Amino acid sequence: MVINKITLLIFMTGLLSSLLIAQKKVDQCYNCHQSNGDRQAELFKKDVHKSKGVTCADCHGGDATKADMDDGMNKNAGFIGVPKGDAKSEVCGRCHNSSTEMAKFNSTIKSGQLEDLKKSSHGKLTIKGNERIAQCTTCHNSHGIVAVKNQASPVHALNVVKTCSKCHSDKSLIKQYNPSLPTDQFENYQTSIHGKLNSKGDANTAECASCHGSHLILPAKDVKSKVYFSNLPKVCSQCHSDVSLMQKYKIPTDQFEKYSHGVHGVASLKKGDAAAPSCNDCHGNHGAAPPGLESISKVCGTCHALSADLFSSSPHKKAFDDKKIPECETCHGNHEIVTATNQLIGTTPDAVCIKCHTQSENTKGYYAAAQMRKLLDSLTTDEKDAIRLVEEAEQKGMEVSEPKFKLRDVRQARLELRTIIHAFNQEKFAEAASKGFALTSEIKAEATSAVDQYYFRRLGLILATLIISLISVALYIYIRRLDKKKT
Amino acid sequence: MKERITKNLYKWFDERIHFDDIIKFAAKKYVPVHSHSIWYYFGGVTLFLFIIQVVTGILLLLYYKGSEDLAFESIQFIMTKVEFGWLIRSIHSWSANLMVLAAFIHMFSVYFTKAYRKPREITWVTGMLMLFLTLGFGFSGYLLPWNELAFFATKVGTDIAGVIPVIGKPIVEFLRGGEDVTGATLSRFFGFHVAIMPGIFVVLLGIHLILVQRQGMSEPMELENQQANARKTMPFFPNFVLRDLLLWLIVLNILAILAVLFPWELGVKADPFAPAPAGIKPEWYFMFMFQTLKYIPAKVLFIDGEILGIFIFSVAGFLWTLVPFWDRKTMRGEKNKLINYLGIFAVMYIILFSILGWVL
Repeated sequence: MVINKITLLIFMTGLLSSLLIAQKKVDQCYNCHQSNGDRQAELFKKDVHKSKGVTCADCHGGDATKADMDDGMNKNAGFIGVPKGDAKSEVCGRCHNSSTEMAKFNSTIKSGQLEDLKKSSHGKLTIKGNERIAQCTTCHNSHGIVAVKNQASPVHALNVVKTCSKCHSDKSLIKQYNPSLPTDQFENYQTSIHGKLNSKGDANTAECASCHGSHLILPAKDVKSKVYFSNLPKVCSQCHSDVSLMQKYKIPTDQFEKYSHGVHGVASLKKGDAAAPSCNDCHGNHGAAPPGLESISKVCGTCHALSADLFSSSPHKKAFDDKKIPECETCHGNHEIVTATNQLIGTTPDAVCIKCHTQSENTKGYYAAAQMRKLLDSLTTDEKDAIRLVEEAEQKGMEVSEPKFKLRDVRQARLELRTIIHAFNQEKFAEAASKGFALTSEIKAEATSAVDQYYFRRLGLILATLIISLISVALYIYIRRLDKKKT
Repeated sequence: MKERITKNLYKWFDERIHFDDIIKFAAKKYVPVHSHSIWYYFGGVTLFLFIIQVVTGILLLLYYKGSEDLAFESIQFIMTKVEFGWLIRSIHSWSANLMVLAAFIHMFSVYFTKAYRKPREITWVTGMLMLFLTLGFGFSGYLLPWNELAFFATKVGTDIAGVIPVIGKPIVEFLRGGEDVTGATLSRFFGFHVAIMPGIFVVLLGIHLILVQRQGMSEPMELENQQANARKTMPFFPNFVLRDLLLWLIVLNILAILAVLFPWELGVKADPFAPAPAGIKPEWYFMFMFQTLKYIPAKVLFIDGEILGIFIFSVAGFLWTLVPFWDRKTMRGEKNKLINYLGIFAVMYIILFSILGWVL
């Protein structure tokens, strides 16, 4: 009961004080400028700040209570006129960078935007060196500022793309700061699913700020950037893993989960491998869209060029096109691509070949797959044998750096063999396999010879020690005799 | 007929080399027999190991290539492709270490029995110089396989010489053939190892052996006062020579066992741009000096710790070499206990600091 009374008292005090702030702030500047038909005053009429009791003098300085122009715009009263350069943002920051100031206006907006802006790419100095590249007013305007959720705001989800593109599509401007930075983001965005939906008035789709952030925008190469290669999947998943949000678009929400378990996700997220593909590498970034059925192999082929080329010239290309089945994805999956093992090929239940080839249907491929698997398994076993033999020789203290080095070539030959699979040509496959077999037999022979040599050395040592010991004993006996003879 | 040919052959050589003199000299030569006679054999063991070093070294030279790009690979080739190359290399490495050990034992046995006293001062000095050269052989030979450990050990070793004021930097540059350990250092060390040092060593060894033969084996001081007929001796030939041969065979056996059961590893090829691996340690015979330098504080009064360490070791080495000239008591035929205490201290110091170096 007592607590309720205290809560009520605090609430009433808060309400009263805010009413007092609003009441107290007589804005004579606005009154005169508005009556003169001043455009800025007209814009300020709808400004969210005006509704919160912010006066012209709060930003421009001076005394808003004075009706007389000279008194109101007196420099002694702190009048600064139109803020220039960084002062523009500093004026905003006086409140927006302070949670206590914001609390006075009962605002729920987070503070600290100016600090974020200073740390961002936009917070760097312009080429003239006298102010930041972007100020608060660059995106939010100066008068007539409305809440971000208000559709009239330049940073509203449906407007922000155009706002950003004012600078980012300006080639001459961007060139001055970063000539390598593209200026086609807006055009690309329009071709993306996100862009198309956004242009249709869907404010839920991703726009610039969804991925890049709003105030703390950093270059994609910066590890702290939201779009840094290893942060990007998480950023995309903010929406794409949201079941309620994605329900409307009828798309699955398990991409991130799958990706993080896949070979690409593990490389990127766990090992920090910058060469591993992130979401944008396959889907595009600003022009993000799922790759079409026929373009999947082209997308994968940007990295797996040889496999893609071999596949394109293989008999499977036409078969896949005719059946309208996606190329790489059919065998390897899409988001959860796991490391390809020997089991992927062949006629065992795990093999993907049996999806189309059986003993009764498409039989040629069935037997070819079985043969390829056999060769691949044989090479893998041979490689393991070679490694075991080299290790055995090494453990015995033999110098096996050469066969050990050749083991790398075997691994390379096995990887090549796996790539050659994409040609789906038995002859080519057998030829590549024979290269690997030749290497493994060479290594096995060298390692076996090293192991044999080890035993030969032991035997040689026993014989040599025996002979030397015998001569020593004979010599000892002779010396003893010699000594006795003397005595 | 056969006897006549042998006789004629002997006569032919005798007329030219005067074999008879040598045989007469050997027949008259006797070696003293006493409780310390065992130490006489270590000089012979050192000589035997040196001969092995020369023979195996020449065999290694047939395939070794003393350049930065090829040194490591050539040793690899010796160890894998050349018939018994692994054995030759392993024997060369093990024999080098045993030779250092035998030389130290020989030196200390001569020191404790005061065999350096008049008239054997020159024999002692040449022996000491050969010991220093042996250490030099070890240091220069260690770099030749151009592996990681050798590379960084040489870097650390030559760095130590660099701290000597004024002459330190020129010495380092002379040793390295530049500012850093590079291929130039390898070529230089190769030259020292196979040409310059063996040349000097052979001259010193010649003087040392001639003097040993001319002056005979030194007897312990306490035996000098005994009557000539009370002293036990044995003929140099064949009794002593055969005993020497027996010990050589035993050493050869040990060497074969070590070389086969513990083949000398080659390691990883040196990469001058790679960071130094952890736990770089010099060869065991430099360990006591290395460990001492680690224990000396950075500054002792106003002197740099490392400089002080190097100075102390240099002075100690110098005085040790000149011991026959300042040990006046022994010179007069009196017992000098100080020499014994100094010797015991040196042996204990070397053993203790070597163990500390390996354990810590």
